[in-house]
Amino acid sequence: MGFLTPFALAFAALGIPILILYMLKLRRRDVLVSSTLLWQRLLRDREANAPWQRLRRNLLLFLQLAILVLLTLALARPFIPTSVVASGSVVILLDASASMQATDVADGTSVDGMSAPTRFAAAVQAAREIVDGLTPGDAATIVAVGPQPLVLASATSDRALLRRALDEAAPSDGAADWEAAFALASASLAGSAAGSMDSKTVIISDGALPEALPPLGGEVRFVGVGGGSDNLAIAALATREGDAGPQAFLRLVNYSDVDAEPLIEFSADGTLFDARRLSVPARGSADLTLADLPYDMQVLGARLVAEDDLPLDDTSSRDDALSIDNVAWAVHTPPVSGRVLLISEGNLFLERALGALSSVELARLSPDQPLPAEPYDLYVYDRVVTGTLPTGNLWLIGPSSPASDGFSVDIGGVFTATAITDVAVQDPLLRYVDLSNVHVLQARRVEPPPGARVLVAARGGPLLFVAERPEGRLAVLTFDLHDSDLPLQIAFPILTSNLADWLLPQGAARFPATVHPGEPVLIPLDPEATGIFVTAPDGERHSIRVGEQAPVFVATDRVGAYLVEQANQAGDVLQSTAFAVNLFDEAESDIAPRETVMVGRAEVAEEPLAEPKQEEGRREFWPWLAGAALCVFAVEWWAYHVGTRRLGDKGKIG
Amino acid sequence: MALLDTAFLAKLDRLSLVARRVRAGQTAGERRSTKRGTSVEFADYRDYVQGDDLRRVDWNIYARLERPFVKLLEEEEDMAVHVLLDGSGSMDWGGESAIGNRRLHRVSDLDKWLYARRLAAALGYVALTSGDRLTVANRQSPISNLRFGPARGRGHALRLFEWLESLDAAGTTDLNAVLRAYAVSGGRAGLVVLISDLFSPPGYVEGLTALAARGHEVAVIHVLSPDEVEPPLGGDLRLLDVETGGPQEVTIDGGMRALYHRRLEAWRDEIRATCRARDAHYVPLVTDTPFDRVVLYDLRRVGLVK
Repeated sequence: MGFLTPFALAFAALGIPILILYMLKLRRRDVLVSSTLLWQRLLRDREANAPWQRLRRNLLLFLQLAILVLLTLALARPFIPTSVVASGSVVILLDASASMQATDVADGTSVDGMSAPTRFAAAVQAAREIVDGLTPGDAATIVAVGPQPLVLASATSDRALLRRALDEAAPSDGAADWEAAFALASASLAGSAAGSMDSKTVIISDGALPEALPPLGGEVRFVGVGGGSDNLAIAALATREGDAGPQAFLRLVNYSDVDAEPLIEFSADGTLFDARRLSVPARGSADLTLADLPYDMQVLGARLVAEDDLPLDDTSSRDDALSIDNVAWAVHTPPVSGRVLLISEGNLFLERALGALSSVELARLSPDQPLPAEPYDLYVYDRVVTGTLPTGNLWLIGPSSPASDGFSVDIGGVFTATAITDVAVQDPLLRYVDLSNVHVLQARRVEPPPGARVLVAARGGPLLFVAERPEGRLAVLTFDLHDSDLPLQIAFPILTSNLADWLLPQGAARFPATVHPGEPVLIPLDPEATGIFVTAPDGERHSIRVGEQAPVFVATDRVGAYLVEQANQAGDVLQSTAFAVNLFDEAESDIAPRETVMVGRAEVAEEPLAEPKQEEGRREFWPWLAGAALCVFAVEWWAYHVGTRRLGDKGKIG
Repeated sequence: MALLDTAFLAKLDRLSLVARRVRAGQTAGERRSTKRGTSVEFADYRDYVQGDDLRRVDWNIYARLERPFVKLLEEEEDMAVHVLLDGSGSMDWGGESAIGNRRLHRVSDLDKWLYARRLAAALGYVALTSGDRLTVANRQSPISNLRFGPARGRGHALRLFEWLESLDAAGTTDLNAVLRAYAVSGGRAGLVVLISDLFSPPGYVEGLTALAARGHEVAVIHVLSPDEVEPPLGGDLRLLDVETGGPQEVTIDGGMRALYHRRLEAWRDEIRATCRARDAHYVPLVTDTPFDRVVLYDLRRVGLVK
């Protein structure tokens, strides 16, 4: 035991005045006696024997001295040297990536009575030990490194807070963003610059760290968890439209050193419809293509069947350590009817640009041919506008002829003041469209209908505007493509794609084929939708406000299929779509622990979880002393009151 | 109140004071003297020497032995009885200790001063009735010559009582000084009865020694009140001495009280030993002992009264 501030022990000298006060200032009652002769002799005998006798049995004095001793000791801040994992200013980077859900840690570290302790639980346990070893002067920051690193506790020495933060920590389903976590750690270390000499970063992970990580100030330690590489993973699951209906493609990767032949269950919209066995060699992969999927299926699920789900005699299937990559989902989107009719005398640029769009099924019609009876989703008129315009979405390019019946757009004369003056840069239709080098020879004066959005305008008039009509959407490019160098520029296909996306109802914009956990998802908004509801795999229903900005769903923390419903004001579901969140991450699925991690240029070797490096710490216990002083103080108060009452009784006798 | 009632006096009539040694008196009295004299009691024979009164020769012996012997007869004389009262302030103490304020005229049967004066009255009465020469002195410091007597004869009894009733105990007493002074000036050697609580800071031993050296036969009647034997005190106290007013701080608890008790016993033993060494009587008394029992039984038991 030692003292941090031994000079405070000098306060013990306060005991002398207390003693003196007691010897001098003891309040005594005056009592008249016939003679003090005997008393004098008595006291002379007694004091000769023990000069401190008069202080004997004086409970209050001893209690007060005890308080003084306790407070003095508390001020001196005694400590017991202990061996702790880390001290000083500590940043704990707790790997919360998907691979930390692997259940291959050694037995004995089970926490919370869970049957299968995960690596994350072991990591939390290791972090808890570090926290327990902290002394009151130390501060710790805990960062859960998931897809979005989360600061669980920031530079606090409140161990209760840290423990609570650790209790609430949960592993994510995604890959860890170590660079962001290191940035957080650097910021945290810089924040506690005072103790930079004493700053440490403890990485508790299974080691799936990227190669190039920025260096960190202070000491970097690496506590490894996990033990095996026994894992089978569905590395890919996708659907496509085949000749005879939807097909599914699945890739299975075996990260273990043993050949495997697991059973894979397929389900469509939650209903099991097929099960296949697939043989995967050790450290290899195997592919599977599944045809004959239900044609109206929306969500395809694939699942590696765990061993205990099978009959007992079937032992070929395996139960692996990481279960999160044993499941995968794919959303099958039926092909959209992006049927586009191009009425043109022949425009190679336009045909190419439209034909390149995956969602567009292009048909071409000569202006002198009559419009087919079957409706198209979009009619593109290149220069000529003949006959009655069909009801539907229209894209007019360089309209030359006057307006036909029932068309509200006035087409006027030609103007040449075509230098672009105004561009609605913020409009999503002009996203990635650079019009700065576009030159236009001449354009026609077209009056935009009320409510139209003018996207590009020159001094002479609008060059591009879009409008919503009851019959359908309308886009007008007021100049002929042949009168401009726009088709030669990169902006053209982008503009074409943007316009086609907008003109085709829920057209080309779809969800990505798969979303990694934690990735934000841009939800293609139905124009009439006023509310978006996303149902997560765990049943939680998220509501997204529809505002000016494109709706983004961010709570993609868990793998699974997310159902997206868009509803209008009346509450009718306009469209119901889905997207799938899958791990599909080789680094996470390959759960074999690493021996070292590279931080900056330094290689940090793993410290075994069971016996991490110990260092000398100081555990102070002055709060206990202060508390004890408080208790003694309470006892003294009690004793004082009891004592005065007893003295009062005696006074009556006298 | 009267010091003694008549019924008690009647009992006292039958008593007389006893001295172990016979001392020479001055006038004829009722006690045997060391001197051979003229009473009718035979004492001894001795050889006739020239000059002896022929009338004293026992002629019957001379006829038988043909040698003249002189018959010696007892001389009866009076005895000098001195009753010394310790009139110090500490004697004026009853059974109840006053807290803070001095008591007024409290008269209690446990009061040492009353008790001492009653003892003095009783002993004096006995001495007067048995024809002894009585001197009663109230010893106080500064030395006051408050003294009754010497007197002889029953007729002085009433005067003695009145005188005793008029006495007050006050001041401090240096017993050594007053006893030495009395040894010098107290007159004939005889029986000295000292009635005191012996609460004298300078001590009493030298005074006793001086009295004994003067030839007195000393009896010490040590009077204490019950609260001096068992002090009803407790707690943190500042004791104030009635005589000197001097404070003494003491914290009294059970252990302290027991210690006091032991100390008191040791003190009494010490006094007893001192007295024995000087061939003096020692009678420790507590004032809650019935007074008549003391005179009629306790003093008789120690041989002071017959």
